[in-house]
Amino acid sequence: MKKKLMSVIIMAAMIITLTACGAGGGTDSSSAGEDEEVTLTLMVDSDETLDGLEAVCEKAKEAVGINVELDVYTAGSDGDNLVKTRLASGDMADLCVWSDSKFKSVGPEKYFIDLSDTDIPDKLDDTYKNAVTYEDGVYGIPLGTSMCGAVLYNREMYEKYNLEVPKTWDEFLENCRVLDEAGETAVLGTFADSWTAQVLFLGDYYNVHAEEPEFAEDYEAGKVKFANTPAATRSFQKFEDLTDFYNDDYMATIYDDGCEIMANGGAGHWIMLTQALSNIYSLYDKETVDKIGVFGIPGDDPDNQGITVWTPSTIFGNKNSDKQEDIIRFMEFYISEEGLDAYSSAQMADGPFLVKGYEGAEDGYKAVKEDMQAYFDAGKTEVDMQSQVQVVGSDLPAICVEVATGQISGQEAAEKYDADCYKAAVQLGLDWAE
Amino acid sequence: MMDKKKVYSFWFLMPALIIFTVFFLIPTVSSLYFSMTVWDINGARFCGLDNFKMFFQEDSLSIGIRNTMIYAVLTSVLKLIPAFFLAVLLTSRIKTKNILRSVLFFPSLLSLIAIGIMFKAMLHPSKGIINQALSVIGLGGTDWLGNTKTALGTVIVVSLWEGLCIATMMFIAGIQAIDANYYEAADIDGASWWQKLRYITMPLTKSARNSIIILAFIDGVRSFELIWAMTGGGPGFATDVLSSIVYKQYAAGYYGLSTAGNVIMLILISCLAYPLQSWLLKREEESM
Repeated sequence: MKKKLMSVIIMAAMIITLTACGAGGGTDSSSAGEDEEVTLTLMVDSDETLDGLEAVCEKAKEAVGINVELDVYTAGSDGDNLVKTRLASGDMADLCVWSDSKFKSVGPEKYFIDLSDTDIPDKLDDTYKNAVTYEDGVYGIPLGTSMCGAVLYNREMYEKYNLEVPKTWDEFLENCRVLDEAGETAVLGTFADSWTAQVLFLGDYYNVHAEEPEFAEDYEAGKVKFANTPAATRSFQKFEDLTDFYNDDYMATIYDDGCEIMANGGAGHWIMLTQALSNIYSLYDKETVDKIGVFGIPGDDPDNQGITVWTPSTIFGNKNSDKQEDIIRFMEFYISEEGLDAYSSAQMADGPFLVKGYEGAEDGYKAVKEDMQAYFDAGKTEVDMQSQVQVVGSDLPAICVEVATGQISGQEAAEKYDADCYKAAVQLGLDWAE
Repeated sequence: MMDKKKVYSFWFLMPALIIFTVFFLIPTVSSLYFSMTVWDINGARFCGLDNFKMFFQEDSLSIGIRNTMIYAVLTSVLKLIPAFFLAVLLTSRIKTKNILRSVLFFPSLLSLIAIGIMFKAMLHPSKGIINQALSVIGLGGTDWLGNTKTALGTVIVVSLWEGLCIATMMFIAGIQAIDANYYEAADIDGASWWQKLRYITMPLTKSARNSIIILAFIDGVRSFELIWAMTGGGPGFATDVLSSIVYKQYAAGYYGLSTAGNVIMLILISCLAYPLQSWLLKREEESM
């Protein structure tokens, strides 16, 4: 009763602040047997490339008789807000695509189906399984392949100006300087979508981890801060070095523009998630994607270059749906050989698959098969910090933009982010000294 | 007889009273409680005044308060003069008066979010129509919304464009309420157009002017939609206002903290609007 009242109050608050709140169409069909067709609804945010997902859904229709209706919601913090509200008000779709770095904050045991009694957890890659585990439950399956937060670079430009893939941050800056002097856009900024600004900071985690292997754990425990750990402050300071190299309209350019610009060779570097490769592929063709190369965000040690790996968005099942069996059936199908084959027939991998024993299709982007695979083969990878900790500050995108536009220094940004995380820690009930 | 009348009017009050209690009083009182809790979608736990403390420690709060004040003062004051002269024009004997009035009123039919998105597209530094037009006449535009120096000013200008129509309508109503005898008397005395404007129209539209200031000021202090649609509080935190700070905290799931922010905003608006109104009313009465 108390919860209901609470959700009513939250809803009332929502109505005031959010004017456009897409209502989900939950069709009421009674639970059906194998041969009867069932319809499930699936909420997915608008920044995902949907080709693979749509192909699996198409296949699921014939293979297991499940018809999936997609309900696309806005990406970013407005989208998170919508997901939380729909969870609280009991209006969630049967399936929901959301981030493994955020689901822990809502108390997943109340809202999402725990898959630990099924065969699903055994099939998941261990790193990924950790990311979707909360207390004793395992809650989701990967929407796509893993990806990296890295520097996408223009191979043709590198050839034209005789550049080499940099081994250190200073070499990277040197490359930027060469491109800048030649009149090219050295680094592409797409900060009108402010989440894109975080990728440099988050993607630098491999270098933080290389110097401070315990950082994530200690941070969660409140023992260390970004501002008093030089290796971690450095991630913010890297923004300072780049302020002169961005395109002029970097505050008005959005992620989709960025994909276009990279596809047309309009910039030398773009610090981005490798999911952009798939976005470009769905706009153009493989040839265009192969003009783009990838390297991890450089650190200061030329002998230790690595790359930061992102877990993909996760498909969660709604615990309060009356179609739980069908939801699990769909999830099992999704990560089956047949489902993943359907996925890779429509969309090439942005990184390795996170389902045990599944190799993926032969064909792949050059950037993934050559550039990224080299890091995986050498074991030079580290999972993004936000997937490992619960404490995630919500103002990170704005802080990154603030330092990227030169309004504050890297040190100040680190202090700001620490204060931002403190709020998250209080909300989570963690015992952090101020 | 008297008693009966009392009962009668009380029951007539009930519907309004119930609506007011359910939708205004109860939420206001309960928000006072929730502002003192750490509240997520699963429940709330009491934490005393920690939220208020945390809200005041917010890094961007000082930027937010400064921006809110700049925004509220400028949007309420700057539209007075153009709105007044537009109203004078639209109450004069020109032929296309009715069409012009409709055209002028048009912006207020649009949602602020739509206006924000529209202007954001028009203000795009390389693809937007405004900078392209400027380059035709040989002026180089900047990234209006992406530059920290121009972002807030640009939003204020758009807000003025949007708010001008309501202000003009209020002035028109004020001017039309002026008794024609005054003008006749002035004509007989041989007053010029400017003298009539200065000594009849201006003083007699004072109450309209004060209403515009009060309404626009309160609107400015709690403004949100336009800023959110155009800059999202950015670049960084450069155009954050109080309500966008509260909204961001709310979106992050810090319901208790953002409720505390709302309580602070409520107090702040009351503290500013009430004295402003009584000051303006006093001046109005004095001049009568």
